[in-house]
Amino acid sequence: MHQVLPSLSWSGRWLLALAGVFFLVGCGKKKEAVVERDNTAEVKAYYAANPDFFRFATPADLPKDLEWENGADLPEIGSPAAKKGGTFYTFLQDYPRTLRHVGPDANGSFRPWLLDDVVVQWAWRHPTKTDVGPKGFHFFSGLASEWAIDKARKTVWVRIERNARWSDGVPITADDMLFAFYFWRSKYIQDPWYNNFYTTNFAGITRYDSHTFSITLPEDRPDMSERVLKLYPQPAHFFKELGDDFLERYQWRAVPTPGAYTILPEDIDKGRSITLTRVKDWWAKDKKNWRYRFNPDKIRFSVIRDTPKSFEAFKKGEIDFFNLSLAEYWYDKLPDSDPLVQAGLVQKNKFYQDFPRPTFGLWMNTSRPLLDNREVRVGIQYATNWQLVIDKFARGDWQRMQTGSDGYGEFTHPTLRSRPFSIEQALESFAKAGFTTRGPDGVLVNAKGERLSFQLTTGYEALKDVLTILREEALKAGVEFRIEVLDGTTAFKKLREKQHDISYTAFSVSPEMYPRYWEDSHSVNAYDNAFLPDGTVNPERKLKTQTNNVTSTALHALDQKIVAYDRSSGAEEMKKLAFEMEEMLYEHAAFSPGQVVPFMRTGSWRWIGYPEDFHVKLGKNFTEWMLFWVDEEKKKETLDARRTGATFPPVIRTYDQYKTKD
Amino acid sequence: MALNPLTVKKLRRFRSIRRGYVSFLVLAGLIVLSLFGELLINSRALAVSYEGRLHFPTYGANLPGTAFGLGYSYETNYRELKKKFEAEGLENWVLLPPFQFNAFENTPYQNVFKPAPPSFMGGPEGHLLGTDTTGRDIFARLFFGFRVAIFFALAFMTLTYVIGISVGCMMGYFGGVFDLIVQRLIEVWSNIPFLYMVIIIFSVIPSTLSIPARVAILLVVMVLFSWTSMTYYMRTATYREKARDYTSAAIVIGAGTGRIIFNHILPNTISTVVTFMPFTIVSAITAVTALDFLGFGLPAPTPSMGELLKQGTQTLTTAPWIVSSAFAALVFILTLVTFIGEAVREAFDPKKFTTYE
Repeated sequence: MHQVLPSLSWSGRWLLALAGVFFLVGCGKKKEAVVERDNTAEVKAYYAANPDFFRFATPADLPKDLEWENGADLPEIGSPAAKKGGTFYTFLQDYPRTLRHVGPDANGSFRPWLLDDVVVQWAWRHPTKTDVGPKGFHFFSGLASEWAIDKARKTVWVRIERNARWSDGVPITADDMLFAFYFWRSKYIQDPWYNNFYTTNFAGITRYDSHTFSITLPEDRPDMSERVLKLYPQPAHFFKELGDDFLERYQWRAVPTPGAYTILPEDIDKGRSITLTRVKDWWAKDKKNWRYRFNPDKIRFSVIRDTPKSFEAFKKGEIDFFNLSLAEYWYDKLPDSDPLVQAGLVQKNKFYQDFPRPTFGLWMNTSRPLLDNREVRVGIQYATNWQLVIDKFARGDWQRMQTGSDGYGEFTHPTLRSRPFSIEQALESFAKAGFTTRGPDGVLVNAKGERLSFQLTTGYEALKDVLTILREEALKAGVEFRIEVLDGTTAFKKLREKQHDISYTAFSVSPEMYPRYWEDSHSVNAYDNAFLPDGTVNPERKLKTQTNNVTSTALHALDQKIVAYDRSSGAEEMKKLAFEMEEMLYEHAAFSPGQVVPFMRTGSWRWIGYPEDFHVKLGKNFTEWMLFWVDEEKKKETLDARRTGATFPPVIRTYDQYKTKD
Repeated sequence: MALNPLTVKKLRRFRSIRRGYVSFLVLAGLIVLSLFGELLINSRALAVSYEGRLHFPTYGANLPGTAFGLGYSYETNYRELKKKFEAEGLENWVLLPPFQFNAFENTPYQNVFKPAPPSFMGGPEGHLLGTDTTGRDIFARLFFGFRVAIFFALAFMTLTYVIGISVGCMMGYFGGVFDLIVQRLIEVWSNIPFLYMVIIIFSVIPSTLSIPARVAILLVVMVLFSWTSMTYYMRTATYREKARDYTSAAIVIGAGTGRIIFNHILPNTISTVVTFMPFTIVSAITAVTALDFLGFGLPAPTPSMGELLKQGTQTLTTAPWIVSSAFAALVFILTLVTFIGEAVREAFDPKKFTTYE
């Protein structure tokens, strides 16, 4: 045992040495590999080889009957009071592993800052006017100056802003969108999801001139416009060197962006910090819905791995903003009575949003023994005391989720309610499954001597207390949860390999028009050849891994409805199907809906400004729509006040204009 | 049992070192006490008299509420049962242990699960050291955490010593090529990073295993990577003893290898080993605490001091009693063991008693 520490340090040195060797080898290789490359001819050949998908036309070919729109009449996002300039200081728990947008490691926690929150799409769904209009969602203009939708032809036409530029000054043209499809479908990017998505979900792209194109879809779904307008181009001039060494060649090169922020090479201090810099003379700086956003000149991220440590940094003022959504932080660590809050130096805000939330709950793997019995699953649903978690852990702030598809407005089942905690009903269901007697430890046992005991896995270290509470309560109903807390990546891997019994996890959901069912409920994603042609269960079916159907749900009748739903083009028909499917899933009882966190709670230093109504209805987090700004004058004033002990009126506000009823 | 007069002398000397001896008595007392922990710290009653019949729920199967005329089939809440019986004023009674919360139950404080301060600091009744972040009693978790850690450490010490002593003695006794090869093997083996191995192994073992099985695996992994250091000491000690006349005499008489190593050589080298024991215990407790702190130790919700320390560092400002109790308890235990270790080393000091040289 004395050996432990010395051996660690020795192995540490050894590893360091090895890493050093690899690093040197890596450097050497990289230098050799840099050769000039121009793939223009290769890309042209690809377009020529796929004439059905990549079509070239002239402006004269544009249909004359198109109704062009640009969303100019929608309310403006952001506040005219926003001040430009300053640096926004924040933190990262992990350093980004790459600056690429696609390929291995690209889907990390830094991606919103590289792409999702800072890119400019052709058009954006309006984040506050969220209802479904006659043509689908309301969009405001981004890279597109205007667009036209024709349901009959399953096509969306787009005209590009004449002054739109990449961050390196090159104009953005229709060729960049054609190239985007080449790029996303390319084997070089080593990203099967992109390869598949952009091959199966689009029927073709037509170039009319350098600033006009159209995209055709295979089906005219109700959210057709969204599927096209949410796309964004790729800089063809930057990816000229695309080839087999894509991963290494583009690993640390900032991709030119149509958005407001880029990363300068000197701002990459690997492992320590990274800084976004506002593009000089950004093309959209005076454009409606863009002019009052992306306000700070720089956004600086330092790496602080430990949450308590980053919170201390926030209290010192080294970080401008902190997410206080956890009850522990909001009530105990930064209570309203905290001197910083009372002196008005730090402001506390609670903001209710309204959008489809991550699906927190218990995902039961129906391919596992005992869990393949519906009565057992129903029993577990009744034995899970979510209300206690909400009341005692979250201090009544959370809400109970009712179905796996809450938050989709008219597409959410209006009356279905999740099962409450009830020991009687749980015991009744377990009894139907043959579990009638309690063993010496209080856990139910059936006639074969099997115990009602399941592994409960999670990857959320911060939420492990939820599981200890559920465990103690479930024991009262005679079912044992064996808790397993893994790190996030391992837990997700286990889930995707369908190795779990029950998993406490959540899938994040983007604010789409209607819920998806195919991914997590169709039998194709549960088993290979789940059913025989006559609809009966195939006795030789094999579990399918690496899909999102983590409950291994395979119901023949449900499959038919999912297919009909995915092919349907009528919103009313889809709603009807969605409700029917939701009821089937309720009966199937493989997902126990957990909590919904209906708000964000933030703490920010006084110099961070935000709009009068704080945020937009669809705002997932404080930084997502980039509405905030840094007020340099107030910063100086606040720092002086902290030194001298001067105070300001405290700011503790709740914005509940978008709060939904339970 | 007749002890070697030398050993008796050593033990007497150990007893005369007050600090170490008292520490030994305290620790031994604690260990014995922890064996009966369920009688001291438990949510189950010691005895219940209901309708003229006596029940002793502490050990054995859990008794459902229906057994005492309550309307539920899960385990009886004896604290409430006691209140109920007292309110009824009948002949039924409940005898509760001195500390009435077990290490697993979440008790709300101000109606939410959050840390409650110790009862002497104005916290709720019954929680001597307060509660942790989900409202579990810290005293109970520390006490049972100590029990797990100390028995884990004892088992760890026994196993590493059995392996380390056997291999070390064999190396010293056989010498030559055997010694050379085994030494090289040990050098290679001891350079495998222990912590990474634990992390790797824990990520691949099937999660269906029960908690005792997972603890056993942790023990085996730690033993596998920790027995090597003991071999060096035993090897040199055996080399020295092998050259003594009594060993030659034993060989001439025709004693077997096992007999020579374990009956003749080992008793004469044991003093080296004994002095290391307490420090092995210290490092085992530290290691298991550190692993818990990192999240790779004993599986949740096993009570553990490392887990409490981790919680404590995250709630330094809001619930300082978590980290201070866990830290104080750990320091207390480790100090006791270290005092014992010092006394043992002094008592078994070969310079004082050796008959050679």
